[in-house]
Amino acid sequence: MSARDMVRIAAIAAVYVVVTMVFAPFSYHIVQVRISEALTVLPYLSRMAVPGLFIGCLLANFFGGLGLHDIVFGSLATLVAGYLTARMPRPYLAPLPPVLVNALVVGWYLSLLMNQPFLVVASYVGLGQLVACYGIGYPLLLFLQARPFFRHLLSDRERV
Amino acid sequence: MSFLGDITIGQYYPAESVVHRLDPRTKITLTMVMVTAVFLAPDFWAQGSLAILTLLMVKVSGVPLSYLFRGLRPILIILAFTFVLNALMIPGAELARIGPLSISQPGVLMGLLLAIRLILLVAIASLLSLTTTPIDLTDGLEQILSPFRRLGVPAHELAMMMSIALRFVPTLLEEAEKIIKAQMARGADFESGNVIQRARAMVPVLVPLFVGAFRRADELALAMEARCYRGGYQRTRLKQLRFGTHDLMAGCAGVLLLLVLFLWRWW
Repeated sequence: MSARDMVRIAAIAAVYVVVTMVFAPFSYHIVQVRISEALTVLPYLSRMAVPGLFIGCLLANFFGGLGLHDIVFGSLATLVAGYLTARMPRPYLAPLPPVLVNALVVGWYLSLLMNQPFLVVASYVGLGQLVACYGIGYPLLLFLQARPFFRHLLSDRERV
Repeated sequence: MSFLGDITIGQYYPAESVVHRLDPRTKITLTMVMVTAVFLAPDFWAQGSLAILTLLMVKVSGVPLSYLFRGLRPILIILAFTFVLNALMIPGAELARIGPLSISQPGVLMGLLLAIRLILLVAIASLLSLTTTPIDLTDGLEQILSPFRRLGVPAHELAMMMSIALRFVPTLLEEAEKIIKAQMARGADFESGNVIQRARAMVPVLVPLFVGAFRRADELALAMEARCYRGGYQRTRLKQLRFGTHDLMAGCAGVLLLLVLFLWRWW
């Protein structure tokens, strides 16, 4: 791994942490939306975003999460989702893996911790992810993709 | 609208204590031990003992309790949900009745048990981040992960990227605040509208933040390349981690704790 790649991955991670911190107070009524989850669309544009988001999520959860299970499983969920997003064939499918994977994984451990039915908790988590990933992430992706400047900035590959 | 008023990065609380001086590897391992212990604890007594043990560790570490409670803020909603839902949903002897809702005794007990468990889980993780500098932490993590190098886990790179990301965070926070204020001065509205409108309002913040982050990243990469950085191989450290007597004692205490809880639960 070259120094340049490492630093760029770290930059993506730092953006995730910063967005998590700055927009921490934002939640819409009862549904909790982590704005930084919008960034999970980035692996569609750049494979560097996969480790970047993983590290970002790890750090963000470390400094204000639900504890060790959140640090470990929450970040691994982001890693798996990022891996899948990078392999999605169309832009509108890019935000889907972070919604589904997080609903399943985060829903799983939250339902255990809260002693509530898995389906209820998973849909609650999924709803928040849906707002973040499709509400912000998808427009962000379209915006970045439409501009050659960002494609060049982020990209390690070209998409048709 | 103030964004950065009460944001702390890295949470580290500097103090002179045994807990602060422990090797980060010991602390990370002990955190895992404590979390396992919390999940093993079968009843109120065990849970309560762990709570007292945690408080004792906080006391020894010299970290003010208010710092620890601050870490609980993000989970307040989940805590409230957990307690209320369990109190209402679990059937049993009725304690009180609000309209059609019945609050049961086993429900309240279960809710309390789960709430204490959640608080403990967060408190234990917070204690680790309050008593360990981020750099010590990434160093410790690198060492813990290094045996998995053979399985393809890039331990050094991971730790290095975490350190760099941490180094970027304060700078980018400042930049984020500038961008938000600049967009607000241009009429950006982050506080009204429905979910989708408010969500979309974030895009004009995220995009410049990225550009700034990547510009800084490329500058740093250039500096690293100019200094011939080439990864972890045969690299020496400014600060060597040392495993001392305190660590040995703490480790033994951790093993003992797990043993006791195993016996408590299954014997």
